[in-house]
Amino acid sequence: MEKRTNSPYPRIDRPVLAIVGVLLVISTVLFARNDREHEWRWYQTEFKRLVAEKYGQDKAKTVPSGLQQIWIPSMAKADRCVTCHQALGWKGFETADEPFRTHPQDILKSHPPETFGCTSCHGGQGWAIDAGPAHGPIEHWNEPLLGKQLGSEYSLVDDKAALMQMNCNVCHRYERETKGAEAINRAKQLVNEKGCRGCHVVNGRGGTIGPDLTYVGDKEAEQYEYGRLSGQKTSFAWHVAHFKDPRALVTETVMPNFNFSSKDAQSLAMLALSWKKSPVPAAFIPGVPLSEPQTEQEKADEERMKTGPGGWFVKTGCFVCHSISALGVKSPAQIGPDLSTAVEDVQSRFGRTLDDFLREPTGTMAVVLSRQIILSPEEKAVAIGKLREAYAEHEKQKASAAKADKSAAPVAARH
Amino acid sequence: MAFPFLSFLKRSGLKRSGDPEAPGVHPQPFWSFRPRSDRESGDAIVSNFALHMFPAKVSRASLAWKYSFWLGTGSAALFLLLILSGAPLLFLYVPSVERAYSSIKDIEFVVTFGSWLRSVHRVAAHAMVVVVCLHLVRVFLTGAYKNGVGQGQRREWNWVIGVFMLLLTLLLSFTGYLLPWDQLAFWAVTVGTNIAASIPFIGPQVRELLIGGRAIDQPTLIRFYVLHIVVLPGALGALFAYHMWRIRKDGGLAVTDKEALANERQEAPAVSTKTYTLLGIARGTSPVVRATALSRLDTMVNAVPDLIRRANLVTLGTIAIVSILATFIRSPLEEAANPLVTPNPAKAPWYFLWLQEIVTDTTVKIGSFTINGAFVGGVILPGLLVTFLILWPWIDRSPKEATGVWFDRTRRGQNLAFILLCLFILTLTFVGTVMRGPYWNIYWPWEIWPEIPGRI
Repeated sequence: MEKRTNSPYPRIDRPVLAIVGVLLVISTVLFARNDREHEWRWYQTEFKRLVAEKYGQDKAKTVPSGLQQIWIPSMAKADRCVTCHQALGWKGFETADEPFRTHPQDILKSHPPETFGCTSCHGGQGWAIDAGPAHGPIEHWNEPLLGKQLGSEYSLVDDKAALMQMNCNVCHRYERETKGAEAINRAKQLVNEKGCRGCHVVNGRGGTIGPDLTYVGDKEAEQYEYGRLSGQKTSFAWHVAHFKDPRALVTETVMPNFNFSSKDAQSLAMLALSWKKSPVPAAFIPGVPLSEPQTEQEKADEERMKTGPGGWFVKTGCFVCHSISALGVKSPAQIGPDLSTAVEDVQSRFGRTLDDFLREPTGTMAVVLSRQIILSPEEKAVAIGKLREAYAEHEKQKASAAKADKSAAPVAARH
Repeated sequence: MAFPFLSFLKRSGLKRSGDPEAPGVHPQPFWSFRPRSDRESGDAIVSNFALHMFPAKVSRASLAWKYSFWLGTGSAALFLLLILSGAPLLFLYVPSVERAYSSIKDIEFVVTFGSWLRSVHRVAAHAMVVVVCLHLVRVFLTGAYKNGVGQGQRREWNWVIGVFMLLLTLLLSFTGYLLPWDQLAFWAVTVGTNIAASIPFIGPQVRELLIGGRAIDQPTLIRFYVLHIVVLPGALGALFAYHMWRIRKDGGLAVTDKEALANERQEAPAVSTKTYTLLGIARGTSPVVRATALSRLDTMVNAVPDLIRRANLVTLGTIAIVSILATFIRSPLEEAANPLVTPNPAKAPWYFLWLQEIVTDTTVKIGSFTINGAFVGGVILPGLLVTFLILWPWIDRSPKEATGVWFDRTRRGQNLAFILLCLFILTLTFVGTVMRGPYWNIYWPWEIWPEIPGRI
């Protein structure tokens, strides 16, 4: 029989084969191990042990094993948090360390996890099954867990866990007050007190000098100007700094500085970021009107002012920023000076007569009178007349007050 | 032997039952990786479907590690690995703008071996671009697109096929880029298709055809998806088959011709039989390579086991390396695609960044008038380059002795020019990939990029 043509096995092929073989074994070990090694396996074993310790083996057997998730099709959420946080509904672990702690049960009665999931309130990345990517902050996932840790990083005043209230307000945005969301409630109160709607539309109502804030929470982080912001470069940090001193971040702004405390600025920043056009199923929205109407008291006050001697200022909208106390008009915001003394005040502030100033206003009033309150020359004449009246009224009130003072405290006056 | 794939277990010393005494009668219907005779070796090629595209004998020189570095086999191994790793991904990925992103999240986080599979697919794709380019560089520097002594050789056409295979490889990688539907994908494809839009007159229509509309949306995704999983792999597979067939028609790798030329004047010893010396499929009645080369037995070896062993080593080695890399290199998944937010900087895939770099550098502003570089850098230049690559075998006037020789003296000038071109492209790729930061500004490696803002 014929022989095979001689071709000796090249010497180099043996070590190459050996190396390739070793590499294949290494690769198999590596990818099998990488897929297997996850912290949730340990947490599940540990939780089973804790349950067995407390309630016995039979109970421990009912603890599920393997990846767990809450799947909410209406929000396209798959929250796998429950893979590690198995104690969610178990009684008796209220004081245990995370992730073995029982969830406060009161809130779960009105917000069952099987309907709401975890991340709609807590934030974080529900898809992930490891603490790092699930809790964040992590690159390429913009919704970290809104917990105490993140709150501490922002040096939140008082309640470090307050950031979570942002997510409460995604559904509860039309409520005046929401139980448990103190920071948001405070911010909503400030929005009314400070008259933000004088310049901004919020929930469909307000002025047009500033931008519409109804969905400001959807503005992307990249769309803010961070040039003048020191420290963290995030939307939240930007809003906090901006509420504290608007002009420091946006030099040309006409937004006044309200001298908010850190806490108020943080609360307002949370409120602003919560104003998102979130795809929340209709069933999740609490049963309140989907608008933010004025209360009866507010309506009555406004009606009274409208029909009083200062009614003209209410109808034109001047009262949003200015009180005219002499005519009984009280501004909710009181951003601008009281107009009772405008005749004298304008002269001292701008060195111009009231007539002259109204004809060609400068500064903030230039913006207001050109964009939001547009007055015809006739209306301006009316305004000047009314302001003179107010001044006369003011002088009269002052004189009578002085008289009353004299008669009330003659002894002090003589000294 | 009931299990042909176990036949390598057999010791060659054992007497096999049914060994025929008569020539031409096959000893058994099966084949062996450890043939005892040339006949058995030939049988292994003829009776095995997977091996039938190989010749029964190949020149020893063409198997050398140092000649080809087995880059073509490496490319084919990567293509195989891409098909193997892509197949399970087909079952898991949903090509819709609503669900693509979340299906990748699921692959990353909860599918068993999902993250590894995706990384294998991605690493292999990037590696294939690299290896295919290196293969082209090797073929150029060895003058392997040249015809030597064989009759009916058309190596220049195999080079042209190769250039198209490179383009298909790039397109495959690029279409795969869009599928995760994240910011990286969306904006890389935006950059790429905007370059296509810069072609004069027909640009906007070309872009519309590519993305199935005027904005990148569901029609784009489904187009890229179908291209990625059916059209382009099919085309590449067909060209691959043709590429292989041409190698056999051309009498093996170009280095075989060098051997043949070296042996031409030596007298060939008498050959007893030529039954298995089919180096190529015969054209008419003449063998493809002259008998002088074929008949010198010491220059030829059996494809089984010598060629098959090394091809297997290269394939398995490639798979092992990609698999290991895939466990260390996690595939990125950025934020979900958002047409309203442009990442800064927005970059094309790395293998197109030298073009993006040229687009930037050829964009000239004179006062308020801007000459857009997209047409020069994105269309004219790559178009010229591909045209030159395709035509080069006909432009190259070096003698046939330069076929299959590394850095042949007669091709010194063109090799130098080619290497400089490669270095130029590499440099621009490096600048575009590593040094271009926000606003496409140059950042040196030691300079820190500005912080990317987050929501909270």
